[in-house]
Amino acid sequence: MQASRARLFKEYKEVQREKVADPDIQLVCDDSNIFKWTALIKGPSETPYEGGIFQLAFAVPEQYPLQPPQVRFLTKIFHPNVHFKTGEICLDILKNAWSPAWTLQSVCRAIIALMAHPEPDSPLNCDSGNLLRSGDIRGYQSMARMYARLAAMPKKG
Amino acid sequence: MRNQEGPQADEESEAATSIPTSELDDWANFGDDDIMQQQSAIRAEEAVKTLFVGDKEPLSTLAAEYQSGSPILLEKIKVLGEKYAAIRRTRGDGNCFFRSFMFSYLEHILESQDREEVDRVKANVEQCRKTLQSLGYADFTFEDFFALFLEQLDSVLQGNETSISQQDEILLRSRDQSISDYVVMFFRFVTSGEIRKRSEFFEPFITGLTNATVEQFCKSSVEPMGEESDHVHITALSDALGVPIRVVYLDRSSCDSGGVSVNHHDFVPAVGDLPNASGSSETVTPFITLLYRPGHYDILYQK
Repeated sequence: MQASRARLFKEYKEVQREKVADPDIQLVCDDSNIFKWTALIKGPSETPYEGGIFQLAFAVPEQYPLQPPQVRFLTKIFHPNVHFKTGEICLDILKNAWSPAWTLQSVCRAIIALMAHPEPDSPLNCDSGNLLRSGDIRGYQSMARMYARLAAMPKKG
Repeated sequence: MRNQEGPQADEESEAATSIPTSELDDWANFGDDDIMQQQSAIRAEEAVKTLFVGDKEPLSTLAAEYQSGSPILLEKIKVLGEKYAAIRRTRGDGNCFFRSFMFSYLEHILESQDREEVDRVKANVEQCRKTLQSLGYADFTFEDFFALFLEQLDSVLQGNETSISQQDEILLRSRDQSISDYVVMFFRFVTSGEIRKRSEFFEPFITGLTNATVEQFCKSSVEPMGEESDHVHITALSDALGVPIRVVYLDRSSCDSGGVSVNHHDFVPAVGDLPNASGSSETVTPFITLLYRPGHYDILYQK
């Protein structure tokens, strides 16, 4: 418990220092609970998510950093490896490939990379996975773009 | 299954996912996380049957395990008994090599009070720190693990403020997850750093094991807790810390001549920039001896 708190505090300081270096990620710690974080990440360019801002919720376990943080999308997203209802993310580093060498910041980077490179063979969203697996890139992209517009972009006028 | 995970796991899952409990009955709502948690719960249930590090047991307990098993194994255990007196079992949670090494090493220092060895290892630990820094690891990701290992090292040397004098105390610490897992993780960082630093040397061995690149291998098979160790890990750790390790192999292989012998392999650390001169040097006798049975490492004690 003490160890995880100390580590998170170091990450907090690092985040403050790195803010400028990584403009695609805005990681914020809950005012009253260092085990709760949220992040705003920019949809990567040249993907259907471009232009969107996606919100992530982090719940950090007491055994952190030996155990991974639990992360999910709060913003609705159409992506093969994200559960459409719960926002749960299927990413190896958040499961059995986790190690303390990862940080909350680098997890955000990994999630952005996952948005740009979906893995349709381990889908949490089967509709999205099936579109990609059947080669219907256009179908996947237009669905993903539509949901990004609906959920991840500020309403115009 | 959720109810069997103990209060802590429940708290976590509730904090992370706000799925209403009524929906949980519906199969469609079982996500990856639920399956992962069930898996880790089963693993945890199996694992607690053995302590992280067990008590020292006479070698006869090993024979008892195979009483109705392979005659070759029983024969080999008899041969083992000529040189070795006891075994100390470790938990089969994928960390057994590192955990066995940790206990064996600290126990050796406690018994020998070899200050030179401690100074030598500390110098190597500093080198490992530099290696990780030069590979681009942020200090705060590994420094806590380094600090905890150095703390353990100081505590087994007498005359320090925090000294411990009892073997029982190392045993307690090795069984305390908050210490034991941190030291295991320290070794994983050290091993990963060494492999990546000398990636040209390790690459052919890694390609022989998996299809992964050196970096992928370190990220997926060295750094994560619970990933099992192979000769690549042992070579790297032995080299990085400069500590020789003997591994005695107990499997069902036999030789054609009919006689049964137990093979061992000495991992002897590289001197200077030379690669690990495994097995070729007769001058170094490792003070750490591990018993390998396919998939698992325990600690062996010489007579």
